[in-house]
Amino acid sequence: MLKHVHLTKSQWLGILKWSLYGLLTLAVLLLQSVVLSQLPVFGVKLAPLPVLIVCVCIWEGSEKGGIYAILATLFWCLSGSDFGNISVAVIPIGAMLSAVLCRAVLTLRFLPAALCCLGVTLVNASAIFVFKLILPPTVAIDSFWRILLPGVFLSMLFMPIHYALVKLISRIGVHDAL
Amino acid sequence: MKKHLSAKTKWLIVIAVLLAGFVTVNSATKTGGWGTRAVQSVLTPFRSATSALVRQVERYYNYVFKYESLQAENEALKAQINSMEEGVRSADSLQRENERLHQLLGLAAEHEDYHFASAYIIAWVDSSWKSAFTIGKGTNSGIHEGLVAVTEYGQVVGLVTEAGSNWATITTVLDSALDISATVASTGYNGVVEGALATGSEGLLRMNYLPTDSVLRNNDQVLTTGSTVYPRGLIIGYVTDANFDQTGVAKYALLKPAADMDNLEQVFIITDFNNS
Repeated sequence: MLKHVHLTKSQWLGILKWSLYGLLTLAVLLLQSVVLSQLPVFGVKLAPLPVLIVCVCIWEGSEKGGIYAILATLFWCLSGSDFGNISVAVIPIGAMLSAVLCRAVLTLRFLPAALCCLGVTLVNASAIFVFKLILPPTVAIDSFWRILLPGVFLSMLFMPIHYALVKLISRIGVHDAL
Repeated sequence: MKKHLSAKTKWLIVIAVLLAGFVTVNSATKTGGWGTRAVQSVLTPFRSATSALVRQVERYYNYVFKYESLQAENEALKAQINSMEEGVRSADSLQRENERLHQLLGLAAEHEDYHFASAYIIAWVDSSWKSAFTIGKGTNSGIHEGLVAVTEYGQVVGLVTEAGSNWATITTVLDSALDISATVASTGYNGVVEGALATGSEGLLRMNYLPTDSVLRNNDQVLTTGSTVYPRGLIIGYVTDANFDQTGVAKYALLKPAADMDNLEQVFIITDFNNS
């Protein structure tokens, strides 16, 4: 059946690129939920997946990257993340705005991307925290700086490796298109 | 910046907001959650494989790097067993007395009515605000919502709060969402145990609504009182501290959970018990 499907070389490379993004997302999700969730650092669990989603969106632009961000966050939410329904809105919107900001206002470099990742993960964690403060069982307010801030900043340690991998994958098919 | 947003991006933002609303409504309704079930079922084989791999790596690491400490621990445990055997000898007479009392009261032998299903933990929830994990067995193995998970020593681990065909989510006793009716074994004081995460004492449990004049000692054992969900007499934890609550009327106690949550690999789900 596949021999009847006629795809150009750039289309095949596009499929390869997005498959690699998918595999990377799955690997990071497994790392987050199976390994890192059992190894809290200074009492907090690290979440490298939002950082990866923002990285991909920044490199792929707000349109293709936005679709990826929505699908990846939805998959993460449905895999059993805590208050994932908030992340389904906050992370893709934050990632798309970051992509526009990095491409139109700032530059597509590591530091602006890192600042955008930090901003989106902080806003996402804070939005969840606000709901945790309101809805029972409520959390103590001092856990904002005891748990939330260390968690966000420590999760940013994954940013360099995510950035490097995403930059590498995003190059697939670029020369062919030129 | 508004002028840099394309029409497609604006549409995607609207879709993201609508999806968030849909997911919220879907997970809140009784018939909802089908998306979660589908994704969890797909992820379970990947999680099981990763979890098994992590266990193998951990075993290898422990063998290579912790051999000497294990040897020392073995020696210490041998000494502990010797002293415990002495304790057991003195407990024998108490046990015989206990058996007589059991017969006197006509009580059935403990826990013979329990039916277990064992399962390995394949993933932990990735939030610092929640304490829950996923096991690699579900409704296909007779596990459904509302069943209790314990360790091999009968220590309460948590409650099954969600179940799919090949997976189930267990919310642990450390999570503030669970309330367990409990009693202090030595004195009989009753209270309600919940996770102390919300109060800023992560890793501990809090026993609320204790009488004002209650006297608690460190390491007092706290057991389940027994209900339609929790069988009677399961070990929840040990008292580490006690104080008055904000009202100054009732007392609360902080408990160390009996189950070693950091090193859990396998849990046992009580699928059936006689609660009469």
